[in-house]
Amino acid sequence: MVNPVLLIAVPLGLAFMVPLIDSASRKLTRFVPVAALLFNLILCIRLIPAVLENPIVINLGGFTPPFGINLFVGPLGLLFAGLISLAGLVVSIYSLSYIKNGPVVKYHMLYMLLLTGATGVVLTGDLFNLFVFFEILCISSYALVAYHGDRAGIESSIKYLIQGTVGSGLLLIGIGFIYGIFGTLNMADIAMKIATVEQSTLFVPMILMVAGLGVESAIFPLNAWLPDAHSSAPSSISAILSGIAIEVGLYAVARIVFTVFGISDIYLFFAFLGILTLLIGEMCAFAQSNIKRMLAYSSIGQIGLILFALALATNNTVTGGLFQLVNHTFSKGLLFLSAGYMIYRSGSMEISSLNGMGKRMPLTSLAFTVGAFSLVGLPPFAGFPGKFLIVSGALLKGEMVINILVGLVLLSTVIEGTYFFRVIQALYFKDGNGEQRKQAPATAVTAMIALMILIVALGVYPKFLADFLSSASSDLLDKMSYVGSVLK
Amino acid sequence: MKSVFSLILLVVLGAGVVFTLSSIPFGSTSSDVGEYYIDSGRADTGATNIVTSVVVGYRAFDTLGEVTVLFVAAIGLGAILAAGRENEEKKKAEWEPASLVLYTGCRFLFPLILLFGAYVFIHGHLTPGGGFQGGAVIASAFLMVYLGCRKKRISRTWARNTESISGLVFVVTGLTGLAVGGHYFLSNFLPEGTLNTLFSAGIIPIIYIAIGLKVGSELTGVIDDLIEESE
Repeated sequence: MVNPVLLIAVPLGLAFMVPLIDSASRKLTRFVPVAALLFNLILCIRLIPAVLENPIVINLGGFTPPFGINLFVGPLGLLFAGLISLAGLVVSIYSLSYIKNGPVVKYHMLYMLLLTGATGVVLTGDLFNLFVFFEILCISSYALVAYHGDRAGIESSIKYLIQGTVGSGLLLIGIGFIYGIFGTLNMADIAMKIATVEQSTLFVPMILMVAGLGVESAIFPLNAWLPDAHSSAPSSISAILSGIAIEVGLYAVARIVFTVFGISDIYLFFAFLGILTLLIGEMCAFAQSNIKRMLAYSSIGQIGLILFALALATNNTVTGGLFQLVNHTFSKGLLFLSAGYMIYRSGSMEISSLNGMGKRMPLTSLAFTVGAFSLVGLPPFAGFPGKFLIVSGALLKGEMVINILVGLVLLSTVIEGTYFFRVIQALYFKDGNGEQRKQAPATAVTAMIALMILIVALGVYPKFLADFLSSASSDLLDKMSYVGSVLK
Repeated sequence: MKSVFSLILLVVLGAGVVFTLSSIPFGSTSSDVGEYYIDSGRADTGATNIVTSVVVGYRAFDTLGEVTVLFVAAIGLGAILAAGRENEEKKKAEWEPASLVLYTGCRFLFPLILLFGAYVFIHGHLTPGGGFQGGAVIASAFLMVYLGCRKKRISRTWARNTESISGLVFVVTGLTGLAVGGHYFLSNFLPEGTLNTLFSAGIIPIIYIAIGLKVGSELTGVIDDLIEESE
């Protein structure tokens, strides 16, 4: 069997090697992320059968938990690791031609380290180790947001840096409290001992940790940094930040709330928070005239929806939430990638400047349309099964409060539909200035076509993914088997 | 209104923190994990410095992550400064040369500080200190030369290659452990040797030397970036 630690060690080693590779051959550098992520993707696919049978627990350094650090590779962790490699691979292919100026070598290193950090967060079984990888993820995204070195980029990067660092600080204080109370950092060990202490002492550490992670996962009211950061970053990075970084933050919140603490009294609070995040995100997105800011606010909305689905904590809704998460990674990635070249061509981020793009860049416009339809939840795209599972799963609970919240979800979908159709109308039904037709470069087109195929395939054959997601959702909800498989 | 609200929030949070802290026993040995490290740290890792046995033994994977955090921060800084430099015009400032006393003093102290830094990280498994501390000491020697001798600069290629190779040594050491030593990433595949001697504790000295060189060259790179920016 292949060892899952390679998912972290190989990209990390390659990232360290990039300067050496660059001094050997300039041309090779930009292919290093492609190679690393392809390796990870193949590894993830090879791990699927073994993980579906039993979660893989890897003791690092040969020390048994709780004394050493362990990796926990269950269906959920593998889902995220696979998603990170797949989205990362597609975006790294896109970047081959998109990133031409600036400190290119450093871009590729930071990009790989960002994804390595994300992979570490989703695979680790140790709280402090989670913090360390979380820092790698966050710091590389601060730097990449300011990649262009322009005023807007640096300003939003600093905003992001300040809020993110305060968040990381809160997380670290929370972890410190937990270590003080339980004397251990192993997530399974803490989860086992959680019932042995007074529940009221856990409140402050939990609030600190959730608030700290909430900054990165853009849960309202901790998401003020996101619209600026996601809109002024290079589009390839926006795609990764929206499609991977905030999802990984949400994973960490869910893992800590469900597995480590497992206090079911507060789930309803998170459901409300999710709906609030959803409504605010969608309404702000509706008011934007800048396309990238609109997409960024729409990411906030989607995170709210996924949080709502996870917080309902039934197998159906969590499966739906994860389906929506996969869909969001692909379709928001596609939207940012296609918007990237449309902005490049029109020279402006205003939606009005995209008038008539449907004729000037047919394929890119088609990609944008597919992404938008999928995000809104139209069949036969990947967004439909996700939203359907969430809504039907929530209605199955049969509680009045939740039915009202589901009504709000449907309302927000209408808002979402409205602002996306406004853009699509601009693309196809408005006349622009009659410029020549010119497509995006081949690498970008390849990336966009790959994402379109994935979105349509998942929309047509949802069962293929839904089965895997169902075991991922029991991985998240079944705390006892998590503890059991780590502390044998 | 806003300040009243902030004050109330602070008081509530403060009360919560005090309440939680009051339930945490300080100074007593409440932690099983901590006890275990103290009792079996030497036997498990062969390092007499227990902090090292935790940092590079039991939790070596965290240390790999922390080295990466510093690496990311250094590259990030370099990337932002490089991108910012492209966007603006550069004006060269004239530097006043340093006095003879300062110049000679720096040149005299420089090798001694390097030697001390190397001592700190090479003996990380025996005495207080380790890779991060030793690396910081080494970087301070370069900082002194930058400030005291003014015109001297390190070779960036040299620093970057040291950084890359030592990072790679850490990862490859881990992978070798995976391949030959008990099939765990970062497990010890070398003999533990006799306690309290320089050649003991298996892979720990190798990792600490790699960390020391990496941190030293990285922080020196950061100093170089910032000084170049301020010129």
